[in-house]
Amino acid sequence: MTPEVERPFPPGDYPVVIVGSGPGGVQAAYMLSRLGIEHAVISADPSPGGMFRRFPFFQRLLSWTKPHVLYEQDTREYEWYDWNSLLATEPENRAVMPGLMDGTSEFPSRPEMELGIRTFAERTGLRIRHDTRWEGTERDGERFVLHTSDGDYRAQAVIFAVGVADPWMPATPGFEHVAHYVDTRVPETYEGKRLFIVGKQNSGFELASGLLHWASRIILASPRPATLSVNTHSLAGVRARYVQPWEDSNLGGGVFILNASIERVDRHETSLTVHTRRSDNGEPFPVEVDEVIAATGFQCPLVDLPDLGVNVFGQSRLPTMTNHFESAGVPGIYFAGTIGQGVAGLKKYGIPANSGAVHGARYNARLMVQHLAETRFGRKRERPAVKPAEVVDLLLNEATTAPELWNQKSYLARAFMRDEDGTIRDEGIVSLADFVDSAGPDAVAITVETDDTGDIHPAVYVRRHGRVDADARLDSSPLHDYRTTGHRKALQALIGHTLG
Amino acid sequence: MALTTDEKMAWLERVELFQGLPSEAVRRIAERSGEIRFPAGRHVVTQGIIGNGLYIIIAGRARVVKGDEVVAELGPGDFFGELSVIDQMPRLASVIAEEPTTCLGLASWDLLAEIERDPKLALNLLRALALRLRAAREEHHH
Amino acid sequence: MNSEEVVDELASLALFADLQRPQLRAVAHIFSEESFPPGQRILRQGFAGSGFYVILEGDVAVRIDGEERARLSKGDFFGEMSLLLGEPPVADVVAVGELHVLHLAGPDLKGFLEQYPPVMFRMLQSVARRLRNANRLRN
Repeated sequence: MTPEVERPFPPGDYPVVIVGSGPGGVQAAYMLSRLGIEHAVISADPSPGGMFRRFPFFQRLLSWTKPHVLYEQDTREYEWYDWNSLLATEPENRAVMPGLMDGTSEFPSRPEMELGIRTFAERTGLRIRHDTRWEGTERDGERFVLHTSDGDYRAQAVIFAVGVADPWMPATPGFEHVAHYVDTRVPETYEGKRLFIVGKQNSGFELASGLLHWASRIILASPRPATLSVNTHSLAGVRARYVQPWEDSNLGGGVFILNASIERVDRHETSLTVHTRRSDNGEPFPVEVDEVIAATGFQCPLVDLPDLGVNVFGQSRLPTMTNHFESAGVPGIYFAGTIGQGVAGLKKYGIPANSGAVHGARYNARLMVQHLAETRFGRKRERPAVKPAEVVDLLLNEATTAPELWNQKSYLARAFMRDEDGTIRDEGIVSLADFVDSAGPDAVAITVETDDTGDIHPAVYVRRHGRVDADARLDSSPLHDYRTTGHRKALQALIGHTLG
Repeated sequence: MALTTDEKMAWLERVELFQGLPSEAVRRIAERSGEIRFPAGRHVVTQGIIGNGLYIIIAGRARVVKGDEVVAELGPGDFFGELSVIDQMPRLASVIAEEPTTCLGLASWDLLAEIERDPKLALNLLRALALRLRAAREEHHH
Repeated sequence: MNSEEVVDELASLALFADLQRPQLRAVAHIFSEESFPPGQRILRQGFAGSGFYVILEGDVAVRIDGEERARLSKGDFFGEMSLLLGEPPVADVVAVGELHVLHLAGPDLKGFLEQYPPVMFRMLQSVARRLRNANRLRN
């Protein structure tokens, strides 16, 4: 551990404190530092990286960084093809990941991802006080007090980027003999074993595909059938990479996929019996195995925030938040990183956004910090004036190339608003839910959406007389380029009276 | 000349409520349905009386009357009375034959038995009720 | 709320009153849990892609053209009308306080109802009741 004199951000008063040094905390810290808002960053971990210091165990990440695309790596457009680098305004700090990956795959390995976050923090000059664990929270008038292992921090606003990595297991009888996903050992130690994996989401399939080579038998079980992302047209469901165990089970190779609930686990001298009940006929179905791993999920480690009024919901115990990732119950408490998945957005056709992943959360962090800066520190966003005749082309160009719109479909949008004096101003990237539900001057927002048939197309929202009355869609395009005469005409017709 | 089962099935299949059902289901409903003739002026169903079935007009015309107001005109292919199948409560309106009119009638208990066998029929009925609900609300709120 | 708590909640709702516990567990998995701050619109008048919602905690206001028409609370459901009729919603549904709901994707409602006929019957009864009320108001 570095000597006390070198550790930054000693306990004390700061305008903002960030808790966490994973992708969420690091991205938020960068945004605050570029806005010149003084802040402290503390983390219980000894180094940056967050969940990527440990997970995923096997395989590479599910998110890609494509080295060869139509755009240069230091451009904004390239962000759409690089789901793993954090965002920066300076070209030399953009696209950190391509430079670090060994070139054998477009999916980074866990160590590469961890290195990427650390490298970003170093290059952008971010300081983090490590080995400082947040242990409790209090309010003191307008301030929040964070009790940590090193002492107390006081702040006007706190950003919690603490991830959703607290292991959670159901309180099923016998689960004291069950290991959680986080305690998975090196694969060789599972050689020849009969393995029972509770859970059929990505983490369960990740374990199955990682241990396929070693285990003599793998049973994946949960009450409901697995869904595959190729069927849901989104990142929801088991991703393509992990489908090998699925195929194995279809072909009878030694992997078994069971739709059953787990009622009890009994330990014997040299084996375990998992007592399940089949979902199809309700019949008991006991299975004898050597080891059981629960890939049953994680919770958000919010310590005592619920006592302060931060309400949580769902099995992951995510906080209820506004569209700018501020706690609904306790203004001044903000969240960054994967916790943002608790803000559902429009979720048209039930399709979720990518707020749980780095490529969505990084934009959410920018939006959140901008909102925090504006509402708490009076930092107004720049809203440059644009010529009315240019609006249609600006909108269509965004729909075609904006990484925010493509990474967070139907969740982030590019908006333009008409001021009282008639000037059209660029609002930049906004929360779509906030745009469609806010009253305000005449405005237009464009985003990219997918419908239930898998069709990807631009969607346009027009605010007139203080209301967004309906959504409108433009035609899809085989190469997703919406800068055509037809699109221009259609968009002009939609917005002509409002911003034309 | 009474209708054959096949002829009844042909009528049922024209009605949205019974579309998309397997033909054995339509046959069962056809077999349980009765053909009833109403002379002009006769009430097919009466407002305020507990209803016990669904009717499909296969010939003639009828008017729907609520209180003193004629709210609709019905002809061949139209159906009514489905709400009573769900809740066995008093009829919301009277349906009165304007000329000699023939209906296929289906008792609530027979239709309910069929709904329990076939979720598709339940879904069709749900849709039909939802349409009526939307129409009722729109009329009320203009 | 962990999954068994959600199952307990579902067991107390009229819509799911006829389901056994294993079925309730399956239902809990099919829906996703969502939470909204006060004032947030959940269903939007005129928008495509809406879903089906069951309220776990909190109240909502049903508004047409800005005018409040009804309030719904724990155990009530909404969104099914527009999905059944294949049209966008005709009303806004807005969270009054903090709201916890179960959300089923619109395209999945039909299959869900066909898979769980008892839920469909309960929904039939609810729509029938609302139809009677609407007619009563007219007179």
